[in-house]
Amino acid sequence: MKGFVHGLFRLRRGPWEMVASVLIAAGVVMLMQPFAMWAYTWSFLVTLTGTVMFIIVSHFPE
Amino acid sequence: MSQLSMDSVARATPPRLSRRIRGLSDRTIAWLFIAPTIFLLLAVNIFPLIWTIRLSFTNFAANRPNAEVQWVGLRNYQRILTDPDTWATMQATAHFLIWTILLQVLIGFTLAWLINRKFRGNDLWTTIIVLPMMLSPAVVGNFWTLLYQPQIGLFNSIVAFLTGADPTSFSMIGDVDLAPWAIIIVDTWMWTPFVMLICLAGLRSIPESIYEAAECDRASKWRQFWTITVPMVLPFLMLAVLFRGIENFKMFDLVVQLTGGGPGNTTTLTSIELKREAFEKWRTGYSSAYAVILFVTVFGLASIYVKALNRVKDR
Amino acid sequence: MSAHSITEPSNGQKWLAGVLVAAYAIITILPLLWIIATGFKSSPDAIAYPPKVLFQPTLEGYVNLFTTQTRQSAEFLAENPPTTWYEEIVHDKGMVIAGPSRFGERFMNSVIIGFGATFLSVVLGTLAAYAFSRYRVPLKDDLLFFILSTRMMPPIAVAIPIFLMFRNIGLSDTHAGMILLYTAVNLSLAVWLLKGFIDEIPREYEEAALIDGYTRFQAFVKVVLPQATTGIAATAIFCLIFSWNEYAFAVLLTSGTAQTAPPFIPTIIGVGGQDWPAVAAGATIFLVPVMVFTILLRKHLLRGITFGAVRK
Repeated sequence: MKGFVHGLFRLRRGPWEMVASVLIAAGVVMLMQPFAMWAYTWSFLVTLTGTVMFIIVSHFPE
Repeated sequence: MSQLSMDSVARATPPRLSRRIRGLSDRTIAWLFIAPTIFLLLAVNIFPLIWTIRLSFTNFAANRPNAEVQWVGLRNYQRILTDPDTWATMQATAHFLIWTILLQVLIGFTLAWLINRKFRGNDLWTTIIVLPMMLSPAVVGNFWTLLYQPQIGLFNSIVAFLTGADPTSFSMIGDVDLAPWAIIIVDTWMWTPFVMLICLAGLRSIPESIYEAAECDRASKWRQFWTITVPMVLPFLMLAVLFRGIENFKMFDLVVQLTGGGPGNTTTLTSIELKREAFEKWRTGYSSAYAVILFVTVFGLASIYVKALNRVKDR
Repeated sequence: MSAHSITEPSNGQKWLAGVLVAAYAIITILPLLWIIATGFKSSPDAIAYPPKVLFQPTLEGYVNLFTTQTRQSAEFLAENPPTTWYEEIVHDKGMVIAGPSRFGERFMNSVIIGFGATFLSVVLGTLAAYAFSRYRVPLKDDLLFFILSTRMMPPIAVAIPIFLMFRNIGLSDTHAGMILLYTAVNLSLAVWLLKGFIDEIPREYEEAALIDGYTRFQAFVKVVLPQATTGIAATAIFCLIFSWNEYAFAVLLTSGTAQTAPPFIPTIIGVGGQDWPAVAAGATIFLVPVMVFTILLRKHLLRGITFGAVRK
């Protein structure tokens, strides 16, 4: 956990990719869940943020 | 290759041509080799993608090319993302996704685990099991509608034989409650071998020595399974699950032939809904926005998938 | 591993595993056997209740698949006795053959488009894969990801702009258009798979050739290509199977001249609904080549479905 936070601050690829992956996964779940309309409405924005973030952070150093 | 043949080859090449090619730097060759691929993909994928994004902000309709096209901003997105019917489509897709992945992982992993016992003739049985995966989903899906017929269908007869139910009392693709399961069964039949093959590769990547060490430590078989087998196969399983997830998220051919999205909208998955909007209602602008939403979702999942691929690659 | 290994499963375990796997295999192959069997059934047998396992085989389905027929009066039939075995089958139902059906054309379209797209994608794919494997290409990982991501795209979503584009440049419903489209979809697989195969060829071979006075290009043609033959063949079969099976683009972008078999087979109808023996006959002719290819490919299957990442 400490390494993870440390990696975030030093802009390392691993932890940031993890954050982006979690965002994408959250967006996909929000898109298809049957519980809350607001989650469905905002799902696209979350997925889009995650995807763009993934493209950017995959160029961070290892 | 012998020295003699090398010489004859070198001699056979006209000197001028060979000098001209020799003059090319490595960098030029690399770009010459890659350029056609990139160019074709740009023309057939990226150019249309940009076009779609542009159209998604308009009210363009492809069947009325001469009508005035209006810029509508984010309205298409707003309508899709607040539409309860589209949301229901997403939920139908989720139901399909969750159950197909669950069943395929369970059956696929079990099969791989059994095949890894290395019994005699496992090659033959594996080859037979793999067959459905490679076939045309549309053609096979169409034929499954015969198997699913009440009365005359093989599926209903077998179920009736096993459970004692009346084969005419249920219709897999006609009943609202059963239709979602009809597509899950056929997809599971087709794609379980996919998960099985990848799990098998995972199982075979585990060095025997780890089990031997565990055996020396008197770890029970049950413990070995959960502390060695499962963690070692997990990256492979992730790969299979992500790929099946992406594929089934955009599922079209099999389901369109099996149920066509019906009865009602019970098996209307996202791609089927998109096809109706784009090619039956001709709401091109609206469906372009829908397409962009699917694009971004798949693209996001694909980035995670490639990460999983690279993780497995070094094993 | 020796037979006495402590981790080797016992004979009883092996036997049980074998029985379970064989049982699954038999269940999974049933629908395919049913397709093949239905192709040789007569129409009443195909929709009999309960489903018939044993039946009198007939080629009726195959004749219906390849011909169009018209009903004729009893006098006409009496005056024109059948001369060939297939005319006889039709004659017995009170029909005469009016001409060939469109199945032959659709099947040929599948062959032309399938082989055309396979050839193009393997040629372009080999070149690109070699460059990615051997040279330092700027943004290599991004390009490879971009190439793979094009395969993940939902076909219906891509079809909207491609439909408009093809309509504007006159490629809709043409062989050339479909070949280009399938080439683009197959390229991602071809590049990734072939890169894996070429990565496995030791660089020393080429370096030896370069020292012997070959140019880089000659080394590629005369040293790398022969070494990569198996990989290229396996890739070609994967591309062929994909183009062969593809349905979504075919159904949306073709209607007449360039329509392939998958959108056509489900539309084969007889009197009162689908003509199941004919559909099954068409499906059999269509599916059996893929089954044969799958058996040939079984050693490379895993690579093919994981874009070359898992090599066993």
